[in-house]
Amino acid sequence: MIRMRLDRGPAVPAAAVTFVALVLLGRQLAPYDPERPVAVPWSPPSGRLPLGADALGRDVLSRVVSGGARLLTVSLAASAAALLCGVALGLVAGWGSASVGRAVRWVCDLLLAVPALILALVLAVALPGATAVVVASVLSGAPLTARVVGARCAEVRDSGYVRSAIERGERTPTVLVRELLPAMSGLIAADAGLRLVTALQLATALAVLGLGPQPPAPDWALMLSENLPGASLNPAALLAPAVPLALTAWLPASAARAAGRRMGGAA
Amino acid sequence: MTAEGTALLEASGLTVCRAEDGSVLLDGVDLRVGPGEVLAITGASGAGKSTLLHALLDTLPAGLRRSAGTVRRRGGVVQPGADGRRWRRARCGYVGQDPAVALHPRWRVERIVGEELTGPRAERAQRVRQALELLGLDEEFARRRARELSGGQAQRVVLARALAAGPDILLLDEPTSAMDRDTARRVIEAVRARRGVPELCTVLVTHDPTLVRELADQVLRLSSPATPPLPPRALGPRVGERRSGALGAVLATRGLRVVRPDGAVLLEGADLDLVPGELTTVLGPSGSGKTSLLHALAGRRPATGGQVRLRGRALAPQAHHRRRDELRAVQLVGQHPAGELNPAHRIGRAVARPLRVLHGLDARGSAVAAAELLAAVGLTADLAGHRPHRLSGGQRQRVALARALAARPDVLLLDEPTSALDAASARVVLDLLDRLRAEGMAVLAVTHDPAVARRADQVLHLRGGWLVPHGPVDPLPTVTGRTS
Repeated sequence: MIRMRLDRGPAVPAAAVTFVALVLLGRQLAPYDPERPVAVPWSPPSGRLPLGADALGRDVLSRVVSGGARLLTVSLAASAAALLCGVALGLVAGWGSASVGRAVRWVCDLLLAVPALILALVLAVALPGATAVVVASVLSGAPLTARVVGARCAEVRDSGYVRSAIERGERTPTVLVRELLPAMSGLIAADAGLRLVTALQLATALAVLGLGPQPPAPDWALMLSENLPGASLNPAALLAPAVPLALTAWLPASAARAAGRRMGGAA
Repeated sequence: MTAEGTALLEASGLTVCRAEDGSVLLDGVDLRVGPGEVLAITGASGAGKSTLLHALLDTLPAGLRRSAGTVRRRGGVVQPGADGRRWRRARCGYVGQDPAVALHPRWRVERIVGEELTGPRAERAQRVRQALELLGLDEEFARRRARELSGGQAQRVVLARALAAGPDILLLDEPTSAMDRDTARRVIEAVRARRGVPELCTVLVTHDPTLVRELADQVLRLSSPATPPLPPRALGPRVGERRSGALGAVLATRGLRVVRPDGAVLLEGADLDLVPGELTTVLGPSGSGKTSLLHALAGRRPATGGQVRLRGRALAPQAHHRRRDELRAVQLVGQHPAGELNPAHRIGRAVARPLRVLHGLDARGSAVAAAELLAAVGLTADLAGHRPHRLSGGQRQRVALARALAARPDVLLLDEPTSALDAASARVVLDLLDRLRAEGMAVLAVTHDPAVARRADQVLHLRGGWLVPHGPVDPLPTVTGRTS
């Protein structure tokens, strides 16, 4: 009941926008330099350092506040790229002739056979971490988006409003962008949330494995692996990056869903 | 079984409002349906008739809320939520307004009708057959898939599903809107058979006075403050004895042939002439191919053979091969109000779009013209800002008409233009069409509504694949509908 109310109101999109802005501007808000020691290693939380210090005595709060910008930027870029490619492929598959649709589906199935994480690991050897996340997200996410969008597109194509748009002489790109996409906005928004979550998982996994940002840069995923040994001395140092990481996955995804519903996914 | 005087279905003070702005759609509705009774709900388009059925069933769409009132079944209150759901499943049958939209397109008819039955397989099949037979659908029909059905057939299939389960409480929303009179007669008989059986009751939403007269034990008339006052009846010039002065046909077909994907011939050698200023109506039993004829003319589903000519020039069979001015000249208003409007577009924008695309109006000019068109079909200006899901079936139907008129077509093709309208709204629409015809528009309407057929200059009958002039018909297909 509460969840449904949250989903419908403007609260979730507003919270998501605020959250993303805070994460992106985080470095300016940090009380200390996140890369310099300011206290004894593994200091527990105190009045001066609300979340204590990490293995090198750096302020955990400052590192958490400034540690999400890169991760979020990479994930947003990766999911946007995957979504764009997927929607475009889906429209081609759903709108084009049966043979075009089959060809697109065949390529998608082939790409889906490769596990995303393995793909990202292989790419990360050759490419910088961020690029590897983007490319892996597109290769593994776009086929999924193309599948749903293509199936829905094939359904909507025969609806009365699409037909009547054709019958008043709208050009095909206009029909696709003006009639089909808005009618599918709810579905696409929900899918955007999914793409963001998978991109985030890929980016986090690469960072935890040391293929992303390098120390001493503050990064939530990196902090998870750095602060694991001191879990008994300062548990806050381990929990602090985990909470915003989870929020990053949940908030934008539900905001996208809520926005899609308000944009007329009511059909 | 039931104690005398206990209502099977009873509602008191039922109030429904919109969650977002609190506007009231239904204000304290009371109703009471006794054992064996049929209650008919009537009222103007947009008065909240369908909403009332949903409120009774506790299936209000997202955004609407039952803010007060109770629903009682045999004196016991039905609680919303899981209780209401179990009650619906066990006791209620519901046939919605736009059945074709609700059917799973790939399911076969027999599976749809048998969906809610339990018991041994043979017995279930037997009951499915009986239900279909009752509504005049034969055995071959049971194997068809839902997407192959015409509007009237889909309506009968949904009705057969509801009847096969033999629900205590049957709720029907415009059950005969897409049917010809003979088929509607079967529905009337099927509902009549429930009348007087003490365990059963029926609630019926309809605009059709025949249904009300023949079936209803009591009538509930809904009026709503939100209903726009209808504009005074415009006295359009009489269109009647015009055939003599017939100009050349604006749209004509020669030897039009339409074949269903499964190979059945729907239309054979149809010759049709649509003359400026004339209303031509096509009648015919449900599933005879009336909609396919319109689709072939508009290029929605191309004809298999023959020619469609616009002012003597042959038109491409498919819409996307036609030129823009050819497209503008022929506009189709489809049968299913729910599928005709893009759920993401506001009404005003949808109606304004053809003006911008086809007539080059700017944003402000098209918005003003769209508002005028909405007023002309009897809709208030405040609807322009809403999206289709806030509108009733009848309102959507008129929006779709306004959008087609925005193209300023020479030929207007209408598929059941009044099926979701009450008599007063239908008159507004028909008067408007009369005025437009006086200005030279040709109208072809597929309809079951005698009010439309009465105004026609030419009435054709589609029977066994042949288009013939209405009247005593030669059973052999020797005449085709050449009329000019």
